[in-house]
Amino acid sequence: MKLLMNLVYILIFPGLLFSSVFGLWLAGIDRKILARMQKRVGPPVMQPTYDFFKLMGKETIIPDNAARSTFLLAPYIGLASLIVTVLFIPIAGIQAFGGVADIVVILYLLTIPSLAIMFGGSASGSPFAGVGVSRTMVAIMSYELPLILIMLAVGRLAGRGFDMGITFSLEKIAQYQAANGPNLFCWSMIPAAVAMLFVIPCEVGAQPFDVGEAETEICEGPLVEYSGTPLAIFKLSHAIKMFVMTLLFTALFLGGISTGMLWLDVVIVLGICAVVTLVCMTLAHAITARLKVEQMFRLFWTVIAGLALLSLILVWIGI
Amino acid sequence: MIQHFPILSIMVLFLGAFLVVLVGRSRIARTAVVSAAVLTSFALMVALIKPVMIDGQIISYWMGNWAPVSGYAIGIGIEVDALSLFFGLLVSLAVMLSGFYSFKYITQDDSPDLFFTLYLMLAGGVMGIVLSGDLFNIFVMLEVMTFAAVALTAFRSWNPNAREAAFKYLVVGSLGSTFVLLGTALVYGQCHTLNLAQISGLLSVNGINPTMTFAFALLFTGFGVKAFMTPFHPIAADAHAAAPSSVSVLISGVFTKTGVYGIIRVSYFLFKSMGMSSMQTGLVFIGCVSMFVCVTMALNQHDFKRLLAFHSISQIGYILTSLGLCSAIGIAGGLYHAINHTLFKGLLFLTAGAVLYATGTTKLEKLGGLARRMPQTAALFMVGAFSISGIPPFNGFVSKWMIYQAAYEKAAETGSIGYAFVTVIAVVTSVLTLASFVKVGQSVFFGELPVELENVKETPLSMRIPMWIMAALCLLTGVLPGLMQQYIINPAVRATLDYKGYIDAMMGEGYAAAHLADTVPLAEAKYTFAGAWDPAFWLVLFVIVLLGVTVAMMIGKSGRGAATAIADDKHDTFFGGEKNTFSQVGGGDLFWGFKYNFRRYLNVMGNAHSGVVNDYVTWGVIDLALIIVYCFIFM
Amino acid sequence: MIKKLIDESMAKSPWVFHINAGSCNGCDIELVAVLTPRYDAERLGFKLAGTPRHADIVVVSGPVTAQSKDRVLRTIAQVPDPKVIVTLGSCPCSGNVFKGSYSVVGPLDKYVPVDVSIAGCAPKPEAIIDGLALAAQIIKEKREKQ
Repeated sequence: MKLLMNLVYILIFPGLLFSSVFGLWLAGIDRKILARMQKRVGPPVMQPTYDFFKLMGKETIIPDNAARSTFLLAPYIGLASLIVTVLFIPIAGIQAFGGVADIVVILYLLTIPSLAIMFGGSASGSPFAGVGVSRTMVAIMSYELPLILIMLAVGRLAGRGFDMGITFSLEKIAQYQAANGPNLFCWSMIPAAVAMLFVIPCEVGAQPFDVGEAETEICEGPLVEYSGTPLAIFKLSHAIKMFVMTLLFTALFLGGISTGMLWLDVVIVLGICAVVTLVCMTLAHAITARLKVEQMFRLFWTVIAGLALLSLILVWIGI
Repeated sequence: MIQHFPILSIMVLFLGAFLVVLVGRSRIARTAVVSAAVLTSFALMVALIKPVMIDGQIISYWMGNWAPVSGYAIGIGIEVDALSLFFGLLVSLAVMLSGFYSFKYITQDDSPDLFFTLYLMLAGGVMGIVLSGDLFNIFVMLEVMTFAAVALTAFRSWNPNAREAAFKYLVVGSLGSTFVLLGTALVYGQCHTLNLAQISGLLSVNGINPTMTFAFALLFTGFGVKAFMTPFHPIAADAHAAAPSSVSVLISGVFTKTGVYGIIRVSYFLFKSMGMSSMQTGLVFIGCVSMFVCVTMALNQHDFKRLLAFHSISQIGYILTSLGLCSAIGIAGGLYHAINHTLFKGLLFLTAGAVLYATGTTKLEKLGGLARRMPQTAALFMVGAFSISGIPPFNGFVSKWMIYQAAYEKAAETGSIGYAFVTVIAVVTSVLTLASFVKVGQSVFFGELPVELENVKETPLSMRIPMWIMAALCLLTGVLPGLMQQYIINPAVRATLDYKGYIDAMMGEGYAAAHLADTVPLAEAKYTFAGAWDPAFWLVLFVIVLLGVTVAMMIGKSGRGAATAIADDKHDTFFGGEKNTFSQVGGGDLFWGFKYNFRRYLNVMGNAHSGVVNDYVTWGVIDLALIIVYCFIFM
Repeated sequence: MIKKLIDESMAKSPWVFHINAGSCNGCDIELVAVLTPRYDAERLGFKLAGTPRHADIVVVSGPVTAQSKDRVLRTIAQVPDPKVIVTLGSCPCSGNVFKGSYSVVGPLDKYVPVDVSIAGCAPKPEAIIDGLALAAQIIKEKREKQ
């Protein structure tokens, strides 16, 4: 019975099926609203889904220079780790697998999809991929510092409700928010929330921080030699990652909202995810250009880390 | 019977060394002697797990049966508690696996009999340090170990880098040994005994007077030199790069741990000074500096083994930081990271050795695309790289998690935000470690294969087997941390915090109670690890998801078998329409954005690591002076 | 059922890779203009791909010059099946005003099977969209035939 419940969690909700559907929907409304912002009609909201299925129908060409097993296996490892991440984040009170210290687990699990793209790109043996790998890794180095500062700040804030003084568990953060109101409404959390809004597009690889996968400059970077089903899985991972990151934002800053009806809670959470996507990804994409890699690194380690550090200090001194 | 096991475990290695000198010419005899020696040593250590770790016994043994006379210890004592056994297991495991690897590896060099003699002497010396209960005995074994390591570094004497590295190692290593000797002499002058347990008991009675503070600073720095803490780390880079790979495994995995072991014995047992917050801050500071400086230096390196060496010291920085926190979970995290480090760093050095064996070079610019010719070595490298970066489900993740939790809990406990920054530095170092290994992966194993390396072959089987064993252990210790903690780590943590038991076991019951005045209390030996998380379970989950998704792989068409195919345009790399020429993006060109932003800092660091041994000795002495001043102010 | 979904999606998400085989850039500018808000080909799902491995429709503009012929053919070979080759403008169709020059090696369909030709110098954006939409349909037919 427990095994069946776990299988449902893994494969249907909030696992593979739910994340895929909702992730692709988020990617779709991102493109549609972007088009509307640019005074165009834009593709239908189902477009990423069409893209995914079309790619499954294409031939997979494996270049001679590529390390075969890594090349083929990398997309699936990225997808699997994203699904595992989703299972650790509470959606409207449902958390498939909880532990006591899951923030650290999520932090590390979130690097695995980027790592999968990097190793897949490396394995394809193309020099464009080499450059893309370098830039993607610099992107990871950029956002990890603010992200850990944000997580420590939220952990300290939520830990006030428990005797440890700090907490790493998303479940406990949700409980704290259910008792004291969403974290975003504390003064000390506002810099952290703004920092998180910058971290999200960098992690997802959306403009203006998509230098790792710069489309025309380095011919799609690590994905240059991918075609067919592996590419489809990478695009799906990209969509699911949007979902996971916005869900993490919701869990950290706007959790604890409960109206009593489960389906309504889930809808509210999904709505917040959509709004966050529009604010930090679509809006930024529409009005800015792509940052160069050293500019991005400097931005994250000075301004964004500074905001998150400000939040940590404010929480520490008790505001 | 079991009280003879520790001394036998040391002696069998030395005996093996002497026998190899006699029969070394014959390959079969040499292999047999070495295998027997390392296997016996390991087996004896494993046999001690049940009595020492599970039942909590402490084995004490007086050499030559020279028991204490009228309350003073005059003989050399061997005392094995759970902490010593922990390090003993770690050492004998690394020695055994690296020894088996060496059989084939050393065929590319000459005088293999001399190699194994020195190897077994090094192993015996290290075992002697971790199992010994006598301060001067530790010093003697330290010297045996240092000289064997120096000789092994210079083993490839045709290489001028090796000779230079060995010289630097000799000078700075001797500096460390001198500090330890001075400290020992001072302690002997004060306590009139050399037995660790008795010194521990007496020092609390006499109190910490200025002579003893000076001795503490000397001993601490001396063992710190052996552990390659900053600023003694540059010689480690040279030594690791020049030594044969199986020796690098020992230097990084085992040698440095003796330094850590020495620091634990000195701080936690002899002087019991770890309870003071000033000492904790000091050690945590040294650890953090080690971590960060070495990982940023590593990003600049062009040689595979030098890069691994810098990472080695960075991970030792993690262990020192965690031990400096002086809480049960901190010590547990530090010890867990110690054994994980031996495993994954050993695996990485063995992989580097395999690459050197197959291609003859470890320079990142000359390598590339080896994953197609050496797929198993590439897979083993990836296991090692993921472990050191702390990616679940491998072992690095568990120990790093414990260290973050320990640091942040300390921050909450003391209310000081400084420890929160320790957590942040630890995480950032972890990410930079990951960056380094992505760089190595891209430069060495992936990317394009240069024409000169078209014919390299996969690593020989006898070299691959120890690597697979290490990789399997990396995965197991990551997936089953509960078992590891219950049987191996927790007894060692309890032993670290229980110096009274240590004293009593050696000097007889009641000695501790009679002599110990009130000292600064250390931490409680209980902790709740944030592991209500059952990793074996979600590894299964991971596999299920992976399987479920791999089914979708059947839908698309799969490519052709590249091994037998004729090169054609369709399967060539996309190059903007041009024919594919060799243009590997090598290690030196990666991470430009990071290097550009840190260019001033990296310049300063690069110039500081000048390679001149006089500079290193100067820093060492200045560092000793600073530590002495710090100890006098705060102790 | 998945197969039907894939077949339907083939026509709805055609990704375009553009190759310039010695063109004067007039057609190239018109192609990019088709993606701007005024004409907006993206509502039909078109997207410019950065690498031929991601492409379904290969759009070639320019008379195939001697220097670019090898590169064009190599790039077209690197596109995964099913693919559709579209010639943009009159140059790759017939050579246009450059026919007979020493450096022009003739219309594209001497070397690869061309599925759609969009004539004009430069063709109107509406004609380009019409041609690309036809190409999307042809891809779907090619997929169904597989």
